[in-house]
Amino acid sequence: MSERLQVGRVLRASIRGFVVGCELKQPDIPPFGSFVRAQGITPGSDIYGLVYNVSLEDDLFARHFVGRDIEEGVIQDERLNRQVPVEVSILSVGCGEEGTVRHCLPPHPPVTLDWLYRCTDEEIKAFTVRFDYFRLVLAAHDAPVDGLLAASIRTAAAAQPEAEREMFLVDAGRELARLLAGDPLRLEGLLRQLQSI
Amino acid sequence: MTLELSKLSGQVQAMGQEMAVRDREYAEQVVRAQGWLTEYAEQAQQLGEIIRESSYSAAIPTGEPVDSQTALPPVPERFTFIAADGTEIQPDSHDIAFYYLINVGALVYRHGSGQTPEAYSLPTIGYSESDIYEEGVPVTGNLLDIKRDIAEITCLADLCASEPRDATTVAVVDGTLILWTLQNTPPAYQAQKTQAYLQQFDRMREAGAAVAACISRPRRSEVAKLLYLAHLGGDIDQAKNPRDPEGERMKRVPDYAIFETLPPGARSALFISPSKTNETYYRTRGHTVHFFYLNLAEEEKRPAIVRIEVPAWIADSADDLRLVHGSLVAQARIAGDYPYALIRADELAFISTKERDAFENMITSSLVRAGVPAALSPKKYYKTLTRRGKRKFR
Repeated sequence: MSERLQVGRVLRASIRGFVVGCELKQPDIPPFGSFVRAQGITPGSDIYGLVYNVSLEDDLFARHFVGRDIEEGVIQDERLNRQVPVEVSILSVGCGEEGTVRHCLPPHPPVTLDWLYRCTDEEIKAFTVRFDYFRLVLAAHDAPVDGLLAASIRTAAAAQPEAEREMFLVDAGRELARLLAGDPLRLEGLLRQLQSI
Repeated sequence: MTLELSKLSGQVQAMGQEMAVRDREYAEQVVRAQGWLTEYAEQAQQLGEIIRESSYSAAIPTGEPVDSQTALPPVPERFTFIAADGTEIQPDSHDIAFYYLINVGALVYRHGSGQTPEAYSLPTIGYSESDIYEEGVPVTGNLLDIKRDIAEITCLADLCASEPRDATTVAVVDGTLILWTLQNTPPAYQAQKTQAYLQQFDRMREAGAAVAACISRPRRSEVAKLLYLAHLGGDIDQAKNPRDPEGERMKRVPDYAIFETLPPGARSALFISPSKTNETYYRTRGHTVHFFYLNLAEEEKRPAIVRIEVPAWIADSADDLRLVHGSLVAQARIAGDYPYALIRADELAFISTKERDAFENMITSSLVRAGVPAALSPKKYYKTLTRRGKRKFR
């Protein structure tokens, strides 16, 4: 694990997923489909997740400026001082302890105000040796499932060495074909999203 | 619901009808007072001495003709506008501990720089004996308001101190520059508090900042009283005790309504505040509070009149006065018709119910950790049960 970029702190959590608060001025707000990691309650344990939403809330004061000629200072004030926190929603897709990784819901949620880290390429590679987490994503209710799955596969492919990237995508496609054998239209849509890589 | 709205409907209807009648009368009084501003301008100009020598709290005219209007002046390409505001949590003997909280919010907005404004939220808890008792009296109500006023102005002075002395810094507090709440306190206490307050004026003057206070929709009728006195030919006794109810009503016309004729961006003449505190404490230290009315509305919009107060050293400097006038309008134009930095300072000072609950939980935990038995009074405890999550009352 080389670099560990701190993303933000846990605001609310359940076993199925959690929400993290961060500031817009942070350059490292993880994009949709990113792999992230939070500490579990047990020391040394980790919870892995996928970012499925980044939300910015409006309020009456921000709405007041729509349609006005806005000064740069007001835009900066709104983005960097008022817009706190930006909420990043994460779907739990795995947990780990002392180097082992399992694709399943974690036994406990992370704790409020714990740090969330963006996974390094090494961590992503270790996590995506298998594709069992696809099932957890496909079973999710709140997340845009197909788009999230495609985005996570693209992220994981980018973390592989260039020579292995194509084979990784083929393997991921095969797993999708197996899971969505009964829904060819949906499978086609997902594979099309992967073809754009 | 405990408040039975059905029992109020008749009263509310009667209230609406009476307000409509009063509004028509009021509109006539305003038009009359606006007429007096031109009609008695010369007479009013001569009444400064009479007012000073009496206890009649009318606006004191300055060298500017009372009916004069000053158009919006140009502002420098770059200037810094600093605004501060404050809120408080009053001590409550029913609470788990006797303490107060003052939260000062401030925003530093650098016009013409494109930089991100600097936002500050500065909370302070008062809990020691010397904090919560002054002269043996608990610091509650007006006494805490004074502490908050001093905290606000000190925050402004601190921020001004770190700005360059290039005559482009404007420091504005939300409310008044005059510590009105001191009026019913003992003289020694007044002297001590005004000294602490005016010390911050000295600091800002030294820092080269232009200081002002901005009061939205002020209810003061000091100019109305001046015009009424002029209408009576300077008869101060009759002005104090009008022979007819109409005179009493004319004295109550709010000044802001008289100045609703100001064009967008223009200001009224300067006046001196007749407050006793102003005369006793502010004047002797060179900070006599002057005021003018200013229309912050955009072109072709309804007037948005505010009262702006400035110390004498700003009123006497044409450049500083122009900077205060122009910068306030520039700030107001950001959001529409009220200074942006003041809106944000209020937001930064505001303590929401959720934040207050979280803060009270912090105090409870801290007391428990320190081994202090922490409990609400039975009265407050039952209020928390009945007032939160109330579903039905019988």
